[in-house]
Amino acid sequence: MEHHAPAIVSTGLGRRYGDVVAVEDVSFEVGRGEFFALLGPNGAGKTTTVHMLTTLTSPTSGSAQVLGHDVTSEAQEVRRTLGMVFQDPALDERLTARENLEIHAVLYDVPRRERRDRIAEALTWASLVDAGDRRVRTFSGGMKRRLELARALMHRPGVLFLDEPTLGLDPQGRRHLWDRIEALRAEGMTVLMTTHYLHEAEACDRVGIIDHGSLVALGEPSVLVERTDGATDLEDVFLTLTGSALRDEEAGPRALMKSYAARGGEFSR
Amino acid sequence: MIGIGLPSRHRRVSLAVVGVMWRRELLRYRRDRSQIFGGVSRTVLWLIILGFGLGASLREIEGYTYAQYILPGVITLNILFSSLQCAIALVWDREVGLLREVIVSPAPMLSVTLGKLLGGATIALVQGSIPLLLAPVIGVRFNLAGLLGAWAVMFFMGLLITAFGVVIASRMKTFEGFGSISNGVIQPLYFLSGSIFPLKGIIGGVGFLQIPEALREELRRVGVYAIGGGWVVQLPWWIETLVYVNPVSYQLDLMRFFLLGFQQLPMAADVAVTFALPPIAAVVAAVFMARSFKD
Repeated sequence: MEHHAPAIVSTGLGRRYGDVVAVEDVSFEVGRGEFFALLGPNGAGKTTTVHMLTTLTSPTSGSAQVLGHDVTSEAQEVRRTLGMVFQDPALDERLTARENLEIHAVLYDVPRRERRDRIAEALTWASLVDAGDRRVRTFSGGMKRRLELARALMHRPGVLFLDEPTLGLDPQGRRHLWDRIEALRAEGMTVLMTTHYLHEAEACDRVGIIDHGSLVALGEPSVLVERTDGATDLEDVFLTLTGSALRDEEAGPRALMKSYAARGGEFSR
Repeated sequence: MIGIGLPSRHRRVSLAVVGVMWRRELLRYRRDRSQIFGGVSRTVLWLIILGFGLGASLREIEGYTYAQYILPGVITLNILFSSLQCAIALVWDREVGLLREVIVSPAPMLSVTLGKLLGGATIALVQGSIPLLLAPVIGVRFNLAGLLGAWAVMFFMGLLITAFGVVIASRMKTFEGFGSISNGVIQPLYFLSGSIFPLKGIIGGVGFLQIPEALREELRRVGVYAIGGGWVVQLPWWIETLVYVNPVSYQLDLMRFFLLGFQQLPMAADVAVTFALPPIAAVVAAVFMARSFKD
């Protein structure tokens, strides 16, 4: 039964913080081997949705399963099976690329005798063989992202979650990373990603558009374009559905600390 | 036992995870030269400058020079800094560092916390040993048993302070500098631990009486530690109270016993606080750390 279940099932998933509704009644499925994108303006609830699917945030309503495992009651199984790349790098910048990968191998219980090969494989995959023993703080944004993506694949996950994988990269870096993601797709990996870049979303099998915490559209990009009056591409669909008002977000702790680091704050190394 | 009140994920202990998180802390420490520099500079400032400077007026405390008296205090200061730095880095780690990768992994969180705490305690041991290197300069001699005893206290002190720092860090949303920790936590714990002023006993303040060592030994045997203008320490009751409620006082007192053979608090209290409190604090820290990830 588990074998035939879709990779991701979200049923009426919701999360509220006190009176604030971050995500409400989000239902969708992602099939095995499917390439799925969640779109939405800033603060629409994309990241909260991904965090619920990856067990980082517990839902206050609804439920979700990843590869047949419930994200609340079987969180441990879900964690073992998913690969995750966060919006901001989640690396130890004082350690080398290799040391970061070693930690990952231990956290995911990769057998000791396989660790060396898996780390070498990951460095090769990320085109970081020569930079393996350099500290991550000396890496560019693109190198960090490649390292994180290679790391997320080290334990052979069944589903890959990418939260804004190409955010903050230059066009070269974005293209390089995107080629890597496309290669995964060709290998049949199930991918759920959030993105701001609509041409990336256009390349996906299906997209879901989230606004104000609710799913407002779901389907193949071409079908969504067809269904929307006067739309010629996904961007038209997106703006029609979500309006053109600016979404200004208040800075959270992460943004505050990043700006502190940018000003040369302590512990930023 | 140790997992009472924790969700199932936090109950199991994986030695591999404890080990890798411990090793990570040590690697981070080794690559942070500013921390090692801080340990050396604090030692020089407090032990040498203050020790000899103030020691010129406070000739002796129960027969020990002022620099000798504050040696365990300077060790404590280094441990307070290194352990709290290690713990407070969690705030950073949680928002923009490796910790999110750890939280999303299947690794048991109790092991992650244990690795962190043991890392903090090990760094405390190294940082605390820096002032020991200067022991010969100030005329302190201890045997192997004394050294091992002092190291044990340092490790447990590091464990206690790191656990305490983890509790603080798990309640901090953001981080804008170590200054508030230094002024609000480290200095009160340091000053109110009997580190730089004695709790009781006799202080000799006048230096014109040079007494031969043999005579001094003889006087000590009959209970006379200082002569020539010596006075009896009488702390204000409220300072005394604050010192007695500060657990660091007891650990420091035991360390002073191991290094100098001088003790101001009851041995039973010292041993109990030094070795029993840190494991309890570690469990509390694990609970707080697990809770800080819950969203």
